[in-house]
Amino acid sequence: MSGKKTRSNVSDSLGETVRTAELLVTCGPGGVGKTTTSAALGVAAALAGRRVVVVTVDPARRLADALGLEEGAAADEPHRVDDIPGLGNGPEDGELWALMLDAASTFDRLVHEQTTSTKQAEAILDNPVYQAISRSLSGAQEYMAIERLHQLYTSGDWDLVIVDTPPSRHAIDLLEAPDRLVGFLSHPVYRALTMGQRAFAKVTNAAATMFLWAVRRLAGPQIVEDTVEFFRSLANIEPGLRHRAEEVSVLLRADVASFVVVSSPRAEAIGESEHLVGALRDGKFPFGGVVVNLIHPMPERLKPKDRAVLEDLGDGPLADHVAWHDELSELATAEREELAALADLAEDVPVVELPLLAVDVHDVEGLVDLADLLVGRD
Amino acid sequence: MEEANGEWLMSARVAIVAGKGGVGSSTVAAAYALAAAREGADVLFVAVDGRPGMGPLLGGRELNHNDQILRRIKGAGRVRGQTIPADKAFSDYLEIKGVGGLLRRAASAASLPMIAAATPGLEHLLVLATVKEFDKDRAADLIIVDAPPAGHAVPFLRSASGLSDVVQSGPVREQSVEVDEMLRDGERCRAMIVTLPEETPVTEAIELGNELTGVIGLALLPTVVNGCWPDRPGLEKTPAMAARSHKIKLSDGAKSALASSAAFGRARLERQREQIERLGREIDSPLLLVPRIATPRLTPHHLGELADALTQEASA
Repeated sequence: MSGKKTRSNVSDSLGETVRTAELLVTCGPGGVGKTTTSAALGVAAALAGRRVVVVTVDPARRLADALGLEEGAAADEPHRVDDIPGLGNGPEDGELWALMLDAASTFDRLVHEQTTSTKQAEAILDNPVYQAISRSLSGAQEYMAIERLHQLYTSGDWDLVIVDTPPSRHAIDLLEAPDRLVGFLSHPVYRALTMGQRAFAKVTNAAATMFLWAVRRLAGPQIVEDTVEFFRSLANIEPGLRHRAEEVSVLLRADVASFVVVSSPRAEAIGESEHLVGALRDGKFPFGGVVVNLIHPMPERLKPKDRAVLEDLGDGPLADHVAWHDELSELATAEREELAALADLAEDVPVVELPLLAVDVHDVEGLVDLADLLVGRD
Repeated sequence: MEEANGEWLMSARVAIVAGKGGVGSSTVAAAYALAAAREGADVLFVAVDGRPGMGPLLGGRELNHNDQILRRIKGAGRVRGQTIPADKAFSDYLEIKGVGGLLRRAASAASLPMIAAATPGLEHLLVLATVKEFDKDRAADLIIVDAPPAGHAVPFLRSASGLSDVVQSGPVREQSVEVDEMLRDGERCRAMIVTLPEETPVTEAIELGNELTGVIGLALLPTVVNGCWPDRPGLEKTPAMAARSHKIKLSDGAKSALASSAAFGRARLERQREQIERLGREIDSPLLLVPRIATPRLTPHHLGELADALTQEASA
């Protein structure tokens, strides 16, 4: 695609992305159908003959059922999605797999990978501070989504890895997660705490001493010991973590990656999406497309002479029709104005606009229909 | 289905408004504040992870961490508003404990995130502890907390019980116990769930209700179904038939235009009825149906309409 970047000659299909990308990250505000869109992109890629895995976070129950996902022990492993209409079982045919992200077990796996002995790993895994951090640290889930993407990508088992990111008002958190971890590891307090090899009485750095003092004042002596112990044990795996964070940061900016922003035409969602598009550009992340879901249909317009007949109806069924027609037209018009602003911002990147469907997508057939809309019937 | 009217407005002194992302829970929280002020209450609207625009929507200036008056209702109450940014709650807390100035000078603000990281949930806990202190001081007749959006509401509210597992002593322990007590006391504190009349949001609202009551021990206020299309029974008739009841003859163009919106409207209303029924069956609180406002950008005028809807008896 070369030449002038006007919207008229920009593709409205994600077909190219689905056929060529090796990593696909969907991001956007909550409540816009992001998980469903990610699954449908996976279906589209499988139908194009690729072996695909979709990593989801917190899918709605019926969609999870459709993808064969379950909670519990099996949740963190890829699971094959069978019986996709139009997809054969031959060696040349594509495959769709899905897995539900479990941030805590991804974190645990990372610790195991980065430690040299089981004892070293257990020292970290058993630490109460580690357990609390890996399960509830804000941003941990975002970082782990990215970490899982890296694990799956480097395994070489997949033609395409799709990651459905956690819904976030600050979707940028996800993009910054690896850099934030590096920042954390470079923090002077952290460095001071991990440098001294023995008792924390040895910690001479003033900031670190104050830090420990504050934690002790606030939360008691036990947590101070746990914290120091946790930071110390983390020091063993720090080079690995730092290296991994840097790798992920590079991978997310590689040509094989593609970010798709999913939105709805509501002003709030559009505002967040615009912000996200800006952040993708600023961070030099490959921006692959925009999907706008849940667009209300535009009714046919009432001609002025018909409109005159319909003035001052009083109550009755025709008044219901006119009121409804006006309400829907007004909303559909406002949505199209919001959309136009987002499309302008997208410049040369495909924008796919999808109608508000009469029913929620909650089975594989529904995903196939949605996949067709996303890539166009080509 | 059980029905609700305006009596619930003051049934607790602290109201925590929560919903998944995109359901309009901040807007509903603001409408609730306005409705209670109209009934004469001095209301404090507290935004935890406040998106911009909430202060102006309530008729005042943008919210910040200072308590400011947003709107006075003639002959009735008023709405005040402020944010409690998590890091601000943290340094306020240090201040109260007499370590603030010293700590800030010595360790610098840069290590606050480190402390927060070392004691996860601490920031959330301190936000809730701040709300608890407001309530203790009777800082307002009603405190409305616009909880963090999306999947964050439950971790936010669970921070109290979660931290007490890790922290065995000290002031953080005290705070988490006191916050937990507040959350479990239905006279002091209740939660309002906000959802939309659509399948996925309703399912999530039912799950959120189970978590809030079961895991955290909160009592519920009425559940708000936001964005309901008004019922339009006339859509069941074709435009031509409908016109006959009005003794009007429509042109083919008019029939076609009206029919083009009616089919979508019927499907939409049908789905909405099903979902409201399901929610009414499965959630243990009365429902309040709030009409959708046909604009992508809300104004204070729209907020007034929403406040009206919250205090009228449910129509479903």
